[in-house]
Amino acid sequence: MPSFSLPGLPSPDVLKSYRIRDSYFTPSHSHPGADGKSRLISDIERSLPAIHLGQFEKLCFFPHVGIGTTTDPQLEKLLRTNPQVVLEPFERWPDLLFGMIQVNAHNVAASLDAINRWIADGPMRGVYFPGGGPAAMTCTDRNVHQLVERVADLNGVIMQHTWFKTGGKQGPGESTPTELAELAAQFPEQSFLCAHAGGEWEQGIRAIQDFPNILAETSGFDATAGFLEMAVRELGAERIVFGSHLPSRSLGTELGKVLGAEISERDKQRILGENYRRLLDG
Amino acid sequence: MMPRVVMNRRELLRGTLAVGAASWAASATQAAEASPSDEQLPLQIIDTNVSLFEWPFRRLPLDQTGRLVEKLRSLGVTQAWAGSFDGIFHRDLQRANERLAKECERFPELVPIGSVNPTLPHWERDVESCANRWKMPAIRLHPGYHGYTLEDPRFAELLEMAEEHGILIQIAVAVEDQRTQPTMLRVPDVDLLPLEALLRSRPKSRVQVLNANARQASQAQWINFPNLAFDVSRTDGTDAVPMLCKILGVERLLFGSHTPFLVPEAAMIRVHESELLSSEDLRQVYAKNAERWLRGVQS
Repeated sequence: MPSFSLPGLPSPDVLKSYRIRDSYFTPSHSHPGADGKSRLISDIERSLPAIHLGQFEKLCFFPHVGIGTTTDPQLEKLLRTNPQVVLEPFERWPDLLFGMIQVNAHNVAASLDAINRWIADGPMRGVYFPGGGPAAMTCTDRNVHQLVERVADLNGVIMQHTWFKTGGKQGPGESTPTELAELAAQFPEQSFLCAHAGGEWEQGIRAIQDFPNILAETSGFDATAGFLEMAVRELGAERIVFGSHLPSRSLGTELGKVLGAEISERDKQRILGENYRRLLDG
Repeated sequence: MMPRVVMNRRELLRGTLAVGAASWAASATQAAEASPSDEQLPLQIIDTNVSLFEWPFRRLPLDQTGRLVEKLRSLGVTQAWAGSFDGIFHRDLQRANERLAKECERFPELVPIGSVNPTLPHWERDVESCANRWKMPAIRLHPGYHGYTLEDPRFAELLEMAEEHGILIQIAVAVEDQRTQPTMLRVPDVDLLPLEALLRSRPKSRVQVLNANARQASQAQWINFPNLAFDVSRTDGTDAVPMLCKILGVERLLFGSHTPFLVPEAAMIRVHESELLSSEDLRQVYAKNAERWLRGVQS
């Protein structure tokens, strides 16, 4: 341990007081390893120093469950036939981790089965709609509606990947915050998490501003100054939830966005933990 | 947020790194010599990558110099190498650099880093002014915004001229992620590959790359160039900094935050968050490497 104080962070007690809930933990986000877990476990372990340094209380990640969300057919079969593999990280870190399954709107039947299997019967808390890979589908598609309806029945949480990319979408299945707003307007009782606040957040915040059932998630782009000041001003702090994007992004980038923002301590508490706890716990 | 590295104004002014713009080099040398490895000393932080004045596409919370310096002080930064956004967007760089030099005189922590655009007529005059008139220890280049590549022969001339004047060159690979840039001003990242041949032929040149991501900084061809350093402002990933230290050598990573475009806490936490670097490695990245590079000693 260094003899000097490490810069940039408040004291551990202050961090602990935030009761940080990470809504966007991304260990091996696109592939957990050929055996369904080794890369995933390794990435979680790689993140632990930052998780402990930040005094995180709980983190949500997005497991693949064998419904075509990767391009690896052998992995898909393994995850489908051996669900214990999916559960292993949650059993190893039961106080730290919880999950929301990645769904595949191209395969509605399998996704509905998975929603019933993993959310209705537990232990997953919701779904993640990816923005890239084989399962990406623009969220205005009717297939997505069918899945949202079922998740809403089960009081699940919905995280939708979004980006407004300068120059246009990276792939045809990517969704923008404007498209999420279109979806959210049809489910006013259901809450949606707008992952990455649209990336280009000045447009993202505007796009979701009039939809109180959409909350902005904070990770996935550089720690550009002014983001949270605008988000708090336009959305209100109660509509913003923290995400770490660890380990591919750094604690510095993502926690620094909140710690370094010129917003009140009360708003930091809301963003870092309170809002997500409220969403999950009702 | 309560700062954990505290230095009050008096300590700052008394400290070996608290220097006026004109005497930055001598003081930095003294600082390096006065505190070679004392574990008990508070951590020094030199931010090699800040910019003054306004970003044209957004009001940044710290775009007023007084507020910027106040924030850097609260985080324990003892010296900051300051370029300017004017240096990116203005063509009258004499005026832009003069404004920067004058502004830096108001704050003992700030070391002015003038901008040079080698596509402008008589750009050599800007190098001369930065080196001789304003005694700047470095110049900052923005090839992407100024419309040239590192293969441009004028860049090679600039490199030679900087070496003759004993000044460091900072090259900004980017200022903003291409995915979030304004539609009216889309600027690709600078291709660094031409540096390989140039630095091989000019081993005494000193170049620091700013705002590179971890992938750009970790390319294998940079391993053998001790005269090339990177800052950590956009080297994202929880263990990216120790990974780069392993690939490049810890002495080639300099702390830089890209404040006020980015929040300074981001890079500050990133350096230590993996808990993989020793205390001495941390001291090197946060300040000692910058001191050495400013004195012209790369390793």
